[in-house]
Amino acid sequence: MIVLERAGKRFGERTALAELSLRVAPGEVVALVGPNGAGKSTALRILAGVLRPSAGRAAIGGHDVVREAEAARRRLGYLPQKLGVPPGTVVRDLAVLVAGVRGLPRAAAERELAALGLGDRLGATLGELSGGQRQRVMLALATLGPVAALLLDEPAISLDTEGAEEMRAAIRAAKARGVAVLFASHYLHDVAALADRMAVMVDGRAVATGTLDELAAAAGVPRGEAAGEAPIERIYRVLVARGRAGLRLVRETAA
Amino acid sequence: MTPLLRFELAGAYRGRTAVLFAAGFAAASAGVAIAGLAPGGSLAVQGFARTSVSLLQLVLWVVPLAGLGIGALAGAECHDLEFVAALPLPRGRIVLARWAAWTAVLGAALGVGFGAAGLVIAALAGAADAGRYAALLGVAVLLAAATLAVGLWIGVAAKARLRAVAIATVVWFVLAVGVDLAAIATLAILPPQDAAGGLSLLLLADPVDSARALGLGLFRADALAGPTGAALRRVLGGWGAAALAAGLIAWTVLPVALAGRRLARADL
Repeated sequence: MIVLERAGKRFGERTALAELSLRVAPGEVVALVGPNGAGKSTALRILAGVLRPSAGRAAIGGHDVVREAEAARRRLGYLPQKLGVPPGTVVRDLAVLVAGVRGLPRAAAERELAALGLGDRLGATLGELSGGQRQRVMLALATLGPVAALLLDEPAISLDTEGAEEMRAAIRAAKARGVAVLFASHYLHDVAALADRMAVMVDGRAVATGTLDELAAAAGVPRGEAAGEAPIERIYRVLVARGRAGLRLVRETAA
Repeated sequence: MTPLLRFELAGAYRGRTAVLFAAGFAAASAGVAIAGLAPGGSLAVQGFARTSVSLLQLVLWVVPLAGLGIGALAGAECHDLEFVAALPLPRGRIVLARWAAWTAVLGAALGVGFGAAGLVIAALAGAADAGRYAALLGVAVLLAAATLAVGLWIGVAAKARLRAVAIATVVWFVLAVGVDLAAIATLAILPPQDAAGGLSLLLLADPVDSARALGLGLFRADALAGPTGAALRRVLGGWGAAALAAGLIAWTVLPVALAGRRLARADL
């Protein structure tokens, strides 16, 4: 279970996240969507224990991410938006670290990477890989082992069609294993295809949360209406516009 | 060995810094050993004792500079380890593993340098005082460990690489030169008997000065230990060496602990 309760984060005078409440149940996939600077990454980074919340609380698997940080991260997989390790890091070294920390033999990590067609790149540094290869390596390592909660920040970034399909398959596989998945994305088609629920965020606040049908109703957009754009894009556009106008339709549907 | 230490060791070992430092230090050490000027201006090899005193000067300039610089960069880089920080590891352990890895790598590089010079000396001037020469390597490694620890603390606190290196450079200057200047100024103002206690503390407060006094003490060359070394002998007597070694260890443990604590509370 991934939990945010009125979580907030301030950087000096700037509010990056304000009173975000969200629950992601085991086997559920929730997406954070919103324009740049909406607070999506901040929310994920608080949950990953990378940022300390200025207000509220965050928990993974019932463990507070600040007070019980190590326990909270024990079964957490996290894919940051930035690389999160020095680019000079050798793929095999990172794989051995992740496997070792999660109590797996190094062969397990190497097998995982080989299955993605990256077996011949184990000796390369992350900086030597293409953006897509790097993202696939990091995603594979984030999901390695007995992960119960998965946080993915823009997982499809830099991926080609094949890589994006692998990413979607990885999220579906995680969901099937009962993993709680929270991901941030600008790719609304991925969100529509993968997410059970979504939270639309603007200026550090959740404008609306719910299933696509609930958000369509809240936005006054019939699901079937195309009007030149996919329904999710229209829903997103309407809700973001309302959010920028200061309207809030937040209805946290705890799973 | 823990997975994290293995990871940090691999990263430190694979970088060019350690290899460059080892090669440069080996060349400089062998140069110090070979280029001792003999009467008449010809080149001759000095014995272990004399060479060690010369080599110590090289250690006192180069090792703190390398330790502080590498430590500052490694400390600042901790803020870029978002992926590693999200693994179930205490953040303080990241700092500890970085310090241990770089100490091992710098220690090995120093071993290569001392070894190169030692082979030249042993082959051409005999093995007398070789044990003390090996102990000097120990002093150099202690100094590397302490300055790496201080550098890591600076890097973690400064966050930005450029700022960290700038602060580390200033700290290096203060430790390598500034404290000696302060000691000389103190002696110029106060009578030696009044200044002794303060100067002893000043010596313990400067890992570079501590290493100098410790290294010179190994070869009974204390007369060269400068005003702070002389004051320490007067105040602490035979316990001076133990106090200096303890001081260097404290200079290692405390900054690593403070850096770990700071990183644990930092937003990455």
